[in-house]
Amino acid sequence: MTCACKAYRLPLVTPSGSLKYKIKPYLFIAPAVILAALFWWYPSAKGFVSSFLTMSNSGKVMGFAGLKNYIMLFSDRNFLKSIWTTLRFVLLFVPLNTVLTVLAASLTRRRSKLSFIPEYLFFSPVAISLSAYSLLFREMFRGEASVVNRIFGLDSGWITDPTGAMVTLVILGVFLDFGIDYILLMCAFRSLDKNIIEAARIDGAGGWSLLFGVELPMIGKTVMVTVFLALKDALLICAPIIILTEGGPFRSTETIMFYYYVEAFKSGNRAIQNSLSSLVLVIAAFAMIIYERRGRKRQ
Amino acid sequence: MKKTKAVVILVLALVMTASAVFAGGVEESSGIRTVTIWHCAQGANAGVFSVLTESFNSTVGKEEGIVINSIYQGKAGDVLTSVNAAAGTGNLPDIAMMDATAATDMDHSDYIVTVDQLGIDTKYILPCGISSYTSDKGLLALPFNASALLYYYNKTLYDSLGVSAPTTLDEMIEVAKVVGNSGVTAFVGVPATYELSTFIGAQNGLSYMVNNRNGHDGAPTEVLFGKEGTYAAFLEKWKELYDTGYYNPLVSGVTGEFTSGRCAAMLASSSNLSTIIHAVDGAFEVGVARVPIVNDQATGGTVISGGALFTFTDNDAVRTVLEYLISPESQIIWAQTTGYVPVNMRAYESSGYKAFLRENPLYKVAYEALLDSNPGLANVWVPSAYSIYYSFQSNVAAVLEGKDIDTAVAEMEAIVQNAIDTFAAQNI
Amino acid sequence: MSGKTVRKPVDTFKFILRKVLLVILAAMVVFPLVYMLSSSLFRPTDFNRLHLFPDTPNFANYAKALSHRYFGHYMVNSVGTALFAAVVRSVVVILAAFAFTHLRFKGKNFFLGALVLTLFVPQEAILYQNYRTVAALGLIDTWTGIVSTSLFSAAQMLLLMGAFSGIGKEPYDAARIDGATDLRYIANVLIPMTGPVVLTMGIQTMITTFNSYLWPLLVTNRPQSRTIQVGITMLGFVEASDIGAQMAALTIVTVPFLVVLALAKKRIETALIRS
Repeated sequence: MTCACKAYRLPLVTPSGSLKYKIKPYLFIAPAVILAALFWWYPSAKGFVSSFLTMSNSGKVMGFAGLKNYIMLFSDRNFLKSIWTTLRFVLLFVPLNTVLTVLAASLTRRRSKLSFIPEYLFFSPVAISLSAYSLLFREMFRGEASVVNRIFGLDSGWITDPTGAMVTLVILGVFLDFGIDYILLMCAFRSLDKNIIEAARIDGAGGWSLLFGVELPMIGKTVMVTVFLALKDALLICAPIIILTEGGPFRSTETIMFYYYVEAFKSGNRAIQNSLSSLVLVIAAFAMIIYERRGRKRQ
Repeated sequence: MKKTKAVVILVLALVMTASAVFAGGVEESSGIRTVTIWHCAQGANAGVFSVLTESFNSTVGKEEGIVINSIYQGKAGDVLTSVNAAAGTGNLPDIAMMDATAATDMDHSDYIVTVDQLGIDTKYILPCGISSYTSDKGLLALPFNASALLYYYNKTLYDSLGVSAPTTLDEMIEVAKVVGNSGVTAFVGVPATYELSTFIGAQNGLSYMVNNRNGHDGAPTEVLFGKEGTYAAFLEKWKELYDTGYYNPLVSGVTGEFTSGRCAAMLASSSNLSTIIHAVDGAFEVGVARVPIVNDQATGGTVISGGALFTFTDNDAVRTVLEYLISPESQIIWAQTTGYVPVNMRAYESSGYKAFLRENPLYKVAYEALLDSNPGLANVWVPSAYSIYYSFQSNVAAVLEGKDIDTAVAEMEAIVQNAIDTFAAQNI
Repeated sequence: MSGKTVRKPVDTFKFILRKVLLVILAAMVVFPLVYMLSSSLFRPTDFNRLHLFPDTPNFANYAKALSHRYFGHYMVNSVGTALFAAVVRSVVVILAAFAFTHLRFKGKNFFLGALVLTLFVPQEAILYQNYRTVAALGLIDTWTGIVSTSLFSAAQMLLLMGAFSGIGKEPYDAARIDGATDLRYIANVLIPMTGPVVLTMGIQTMITTFNSYLWPLLVTNRPQSRTIQVGITMLGFVEASDIGAQMAALTIVTVPFLVVLALAKKRIETALIRS
C-alpha cells in the first residue's frame, strides 16, 4: 500500500536538546513496533522455524524434520477437504454478503421521515454478538424439525445435513458482518457529493441508472473495502463453526482454520500446526503482493 | 482540546485500573487453601456438582481451611483442551475432571500426579473403574463419574407395540421394523469411538480396538479392529439396521430427537439419565437397557466409561478433596441425582441407596451391566482422539450410504494407524 | 422526486418494488432477533411445536438465566476490553502514523515495511504461539491478555497515514512555528481533522474485540474473567435441554446493546457522513 509519506524537517530544535529530537520518532513508533514484534514477527518466525523440526506435543524439539511436516500436512485428507470446504464457503458467502449489504444500503440511501426505522433494523445485527447469533442459529436451523422449516415451508436438514450445514453457515456469516457493512455503505452513499448527483439527475438519469451508473461507482472504494474484508474473514472463519457445527456433520463445515484449531489445540499435533500456519502466512503474503500490484496498476 | 485529551487519559486510566482489579486471580487469604477443579459437569449434573463442592466447603472444608473453587470449562474434551493449553504456563488447575480421551495426553505428560503418588486408598473403588484408568505409570486418575453406554428407548411406545428392548443387534433390527411401521423413527445417532469400544470390546468374550490393552499398557502400536474382523462384524449388522429405512443418522441434536418423541431409541451414556428423564417431562416412559450385542459370541459386556479426576498438584488439601468426592456419601448424592454409577462400592451397602434403586430401577441398569462385564475390558486410549472420533462417524456414515465394508474398515484402520504412528514419531 | 410532474406507471411500480424489497429484507434481517426475544419465553413444549410465539409466556426462563452469577462480569469484561482495545490501539496507531508521515528518522522505511508486513499475518494462524507468549507473560485471565493481540493494526495505521498525508504539511509547520509540541498538534489539530476516520477505526476495533470468541476462550480460565461471547456458550442450558433459559440469557446480553445502538446511531452516522 503506497502512501505519500512526506518527510518534515523540524524547523526548530526542541528546547531540551538534540538528544530528545533524535529519540522522539522512535518513541512514537515504539509501541507499534514492540507489539508487532511480540505478536506477529516472533510467533511467525517461531512457527516457521518449528515447521522444519519434529516437535513433541508438549513443545520439546525432537529433531530435524526437513519437509516431512509439510508432506504430512498435504497427505492429510482432512486438510485437503478443508481447503475445498473453505473455497465453497468463500464462493457462496462473499457475493451474497456484498449483494445483500449493498442492496440494503441502496434502499435506504435517501433520508426520509421514517427511514430511521429500516436504518436501525439493518444496523441492529451489530448489537447481537457472534456467539449469540451462532447459538441462535444452532436452534433455529437445528434440523428437519426446525423453526426455519416451519416458517418458510422448507424441508431441509440444515445443520444435520452436509449441504444444509454449509448453507446455514453462509447465512450466519452474512448476519455476522451485516450491521457494520451496512452502516459503512449507507454512510458512504450519504457522503456523496450531492451536486454531482443532482447534475446527473438533471441530465436525465433516474432511479436505477442513477444508482448503478453514478452512485455505486462513486462509493466503489468503500464497496471494495467491504468485499476485501469479507473475503479475508471468510477465508479464516473459525469461531462460528466451533459453536454452530463443530466442523460437522461429517466434517462438511471444517474450514482450514477450524482444522488448524483441532490439530493445534485438540490433537496437539505440532507438525500440522506449524506447517499449516507457515503455509497460511506465505499464501497471505502472496495474496497481498498481488493485491498491491493490481492496486498500483490501477493507479 | 485539552479537555478531550484529559477525558481520553482519564478513561484509559480507569480502564487500566479496572483491568487490574478484575484481573486478579482468586486471592488466598491467610490460612485458606484453595483447590481449583476444572469440571465438565453439565445439565442437571452441574447443579449436583455444585451441591457437592458447596457442602464440602461448609463442612470438611470449613474445618480444615480448604475451599473448593470449581469452574465449568465445557465438555470433557474442552477441559482437556484447556489443560493442554495451560500446561507449561503455570496455569494448571489442581484437579481436572476429564474422560478417556484425555488419557493418552496425560499418560505422556510430565505434570500428572498419579493416584499412587497421592497415596489415596482405592480399595473400595470399582475394579473396572480402576482398570479403566490404569496405565503403565500406575493409576492415572481417580474414577469419579463412572457410567456405561445404555440403550434408551420409548418404553410406552414399545409396550403398545408389544416389543421389548432388544438384546442383540438382530433383535434390534426386528424391533426397528415394528417401530418404523408404526410411523416413528426407530433409531437416531451415528456410533463413534465411544459406542464402538463396547460393540467391539464385547466381541469374542473380550476384544481390543488397538493393542497394548487399548493403549493402557503403553502407547498403542497396532490397530486390531481391522485384522480381527470385529469392526466389520459390527458394520454388517449396523448396515442392516440402516437398510430398514427407519434409522436417522443424525450427529447433532440426537438427544432432542429422542426426548421429543420423534425417535424411539438411541444409544447414550447412563450419565444423561436424569437430564433425559427431566427433558422428556413425562411425555412417555423412558426405558433403558444394556447395549445390544453384535452376535452370540459378543459376551464381553459393557466398557466402563465416564470421567475421572486427574490431579496436577500433590498436597494434603487436594488429597482431602479427592477423598471427599469419592466417599460413599458423596457418590450416593452424585449417583442419585445424575445417573452416574457410584464408584465407591460401599455406596451399595447403604440402605438409603438400596431403597433409591428399588424405586428407580433405571438407575441400576448401568451398574449391573458393568458388574456382568469382563474385567479385562478397557476404554480406548488413542492420540488425536477428537479427530478420530469424527473420522469414525464419517466412516460409519459412509458405510450406511453404501460404501463397501472392507474398504471402509481398511480406511479407518489406516487413519488410526497413522495417528498412532505420528504420535509415536513425534513423542517417543 | 424532483422535476418530474407526471408519474409514469413504471415509476410507481419501481416505487412499490423498492418498498416491498425493503420490507422483506428488513423482516429477514430482524427475524432472528424477534425469534430470540420470543423464544426466551418458551416452554420446552413450545420448542417442539415450532411456532413463533409462546402459548403462555414463561418468565421462569429469565429467573433461571439471571441465577447465573457471572452475567455482570461478562458484560463488564466485554465492554471494558472493547473500550480498552479501541483506546489503546488508537493511541498506538496514531502515534506510529504520525511518526511515519511527519517525522524523519533513520530506518524509517525499514520499520514501516516491517510493520506493514504484519498485514500478511492473520492472527488465526499464529494463535497457538501467541497463546504461549501471553501465558508466559502472566496475562491469563486479564484484560490485557484478552486485548493483547488487538492493540496494533497495520491496516488502520495505513488508513490513518493516508488521512494524515491528505491534510498536508502547512498546518503542521504553522503549529511548530507557534511552538506547539507534536503531541499537542496531534491532539488539537490532527485528530479533529481526521475525526471520521479515527471514529470509524475506533468503532471497528470495538466491534472486532467485542465479537472475538476464540482468543478470549483460550486466555481466560475463570468465569469472572470471561467475556460475553465465551460466557454465553458455557451456561450449560443447552446441554440441559433448557433452550428457553439459553434464549433468555442471550436476550439479557443483547438488549442493553440494542438500546445503546438506538441512542448512538444518530451520532455515529453524523460522524461517518462528515467525511
